[in-house]
Amino acid sequence: MKHKKAGALNVLVEALKKSSITTISFVLLIMIVIASVSSPYFLDSYNIQALIRDLAFVGMIGMAQSLLLLVGELDLSVGKIASLCGILAGMMMVTYGVDPYLALGLALILGLVFGIINGLLITQLRLNAMVATIGMQGVYGGINLVLTKGKAITGIPESIYILGKGTIGFIPIPFFFTIAVAIFILFLVKKTKTGRYIYAIGNNKEAAKILGIKVDRIRVMLYAIVGLISALAGILYVARLGSSQSSIGESWPMNSIASAVIGGVALTGGVGNPVGALIGSAIISIISNLIVLLGVSVYWQSAVSGFVVVLAISFSSISTILAEKRQKKVKLSVTEEKGQGETS
Amino acid sequence: MKILEAKNITKLFPGVVALDSVDISIFRGQIHCIIGENGAGKSTLIKCLMGVYTPESGEILINGKSAIKNRSLFDKIAYVPQEIDLFPHMSVAENLFMPYDKTGISGLIRQKSLEKRAILLLKKFKIDVAPWDLVKDIPISAQQLLQIARATLRENFEVLMLDEPTTSLTMEDTQSLFDIIKAIRNQDKAVIFISHKLEEIFSLGDVLTVFRNGKKVAHESLSDVDIPWVISQMTGQDIDQKQVFWSEKVQDESLLEIQNLTGEDFENISFRLKKGEILGFSGLVGAGRSELMQAIFGYLPVYSGSVRLEGKAWKLGDTNYSVENGLVYLPEDRKGQGILPLMSVRENLSISALKRLLRGCFISARQEEALANESIATYSIKTPDAENLILYLSGGNQQKVVIGRAMNCEPRVLIFDEPTKGIDVGAKTEIYKLMKQLAEEKGIGIILISSEMDEVQKCSNRIITLYRGRLSGEFPQGVSKEELMSAIIGQHQNQS
Repeated sequence: MKHKKAGALNVLVEALKKSSITTISFVLLIMIVIASVSSPYFLDSYNIQALIRDLAFVGMIGMAQSLLLLVGELDLSVGKIASLCGILAGMMMVTYGVDPYLALGLALILGLVFGIINGLLITQLRLNAMVATIGMQGVYGGINLVLTKGKAITGIPESIYILGKGTIGFIPIPFFFTIAVAIFILFLVKKTKTGRYIYAIGNNKEAAKILGIKVDRIRVMLYAIVGLISALAGILYVARLGSSQSSIGESWPMNSIASAVIGGVALTGGVGNPVGALIGSAIISIISNLIVLLGVSVYWQSAVSGFVVVLAISFSSISTILAEKRQKKVKLSVTEEKGQGETS
Repeated sequence: MKILEAKNITKLFPGVVALDSVDISIFRGQIHCIIGENGAGKSTLIKCLMGVYTPESGEILINGKSAIKNRSLFDKIAYVPQEIDLFPHMSVAENLFMPYDKTGISGLIRQKSLEKRAILLLKKFKIDVAPWDLVKDIPISAQQLLQIARATLRENFEVLMLDEPTTSLTMEDTQSLFDIIKAIRNQDKAVIFISHKLEEIFSLGDVLTVFRNGKKVAHESLSDVDIPWVISQMTGQDIDQKQVFWSEKVQDESLLEIQNLTGEDFENISFRLKKGEILGFSGLVGAGRSELMQAIFGYLPVYSGSVRLEGKAWKLGDTNYSVENGLVYLPEDRKGQGILPLMSVRENLSISALKRLLRGCFISARQEEALANESIATYSIKTPDAENLILYLSGGNQQKVVIGRAMNCEPRVLIFDEPTKGIDVGAKTEIYKLMKQLAEEKGIGIILISSEMDEVQKCSNRIITLYRGRLSGEFPQGVSKEELMSAIIGQHQNQS
């Protein structure tokens, strides 16, 4: 009997251990329960749809950001790349009459190029990622202002609205893009050679070099992917609003990092699952949604949501501490049983 | 007089019993040596004695009082860790007196008086640096001595624990360290000395306790025992000290040719390595051996000169090229440059062989597992399973993982940089056998850098010595220790 129990527990612990996103999924479930209990409007289908549309954007950027966090770096220019690509797509469509879908494709390529520029600056000039991308977000944001003089670009062709405003069944279309990004990133980090190298670099950069891993090439590639996904989020947002605005993505750099950390990706690199960032972004979105539903004063909203984000981060770190303790106990009881088995 | 006593302590870790009902008593005025293979429980024991770990059962007494209940008693124990843990961007003086309250300095800190006190200490410990030098700029050996000096500054310490303090010291430094340790003993304090170097233990220690698999297996006065006895106690078997491990199948074909190589820390180096040969490199700490090899490997820059592998011109400065073309470097700094600490043993082993494990774009999980288990068996890596984090393995087993990983790249030249640093006698012999086997069976050319003369003599078909970045001699196998020594310290006249 006792053995059976320990065996089942072991399997459970193994499963828990294998997936770093299990615990954070529990936190998400708890959040959903709390939210639906505290506001009758939370589970309203209109609200849920708005929520999913909202988290699709931060979720996408958060997962991309996690890739960089895995190698111990980050990109603070994601929001400005997104809005600049949105503006460029809008200008191509409205001012130059480029075919809308061709314009979107070109904007994606530009996002990729911006990412590569970030990556080359950081790897070739050996700049610190944080400082370099703070600088670059100024540059991208500045180009943005020069092009638009701060005005929104309206008159976006309605044929692309479906990408941002449409739904398939109940689910908003941007979320399908997020799922596609999640699947791509999941396969990249968990199944491919490059993914393993990403973790190796985050674990020990010097060892990775000695192993003959092309460290800089992979880093540039990651910045390129982040640029591409930022551009994707940017143009989907343009489709959602029906206009290109330079304010798109202002909160994305911080929220993407927060959702990655809540999702269990370590800022120091080498540990975590990028898909955790999707769950993290869901938690952040539920928090800001709930604050509105509960009618918290507008002036208090930022303070409350900030505090709850800190709380959410502590949740995941506290659960890690608890999981470690539990693991230790289980392993100890296993060794003790073994010991008894040997002596008897 | 008994100062420190552990009674029947047991410490458990996930999957292992690290210490199994251990008793040990430390007396004033004695140098108490502790020896054991990696994973024998030495580090766990000292961490229990220091109060870092709390044992699951048993009692620790300091001056006869329970230290587990009264933790301030642990302040009487000064500890010098194996790795350097100084503040690199602070001055020598600041490092010496940190933390200030424990070294009798209170209130405002005056730079001048700190430096004055530091000068006296630096003289006493024969550390040849100025108090205002930044720690990052002084040699590793000076840093090591500084750590020891710092430990002795703790107010009213009674026991000094040293964990392998000589691994990065030159012979001179080691000698002056030993004088200091003896002086501390003569002040009626107790010293606990942990080392893998048996000669050191016999020249320094008073009593010896041997650990094996978490148990205390022997405790004797050092004057009553000899080296073979200690080794047999440590390993539980008899190891022939005279056994040699050089390759019996050196082929005539030359594999690696180095021509007039010059870099930051070495000058005008030329040598050849044959297939199936083990070529030893000897020299003092700082002679440029590691730097030379890292430059050949492409990790450090080369200013001039050329490298050829099997007659073909070699691209320098690209580690990826080196690994793909069969030149693999196993770093001395296992922690900083070798292992991927937060990844599993499986992932650490497969990382160099992923190309072979691909099914289309994706890594085949089954093949990867098979490779990991095969390597674990081939190199007898002790781990609960392949999913265990490599961080939790003992140093010797981590090294075996690093070797297994290197072998997975199918190398033609392997550069071993201090492969047995911090590894016990039993595991050392295993690694020597492995090197010999690789050279003989696969015709791999092996370059062995080692600071242990014994090791170089036992394993090498030829030995090249370096002194201050230049070649100072070349010797065939079986060269005498004296001859080798004079070349290492730059006294040998090269006949050629």
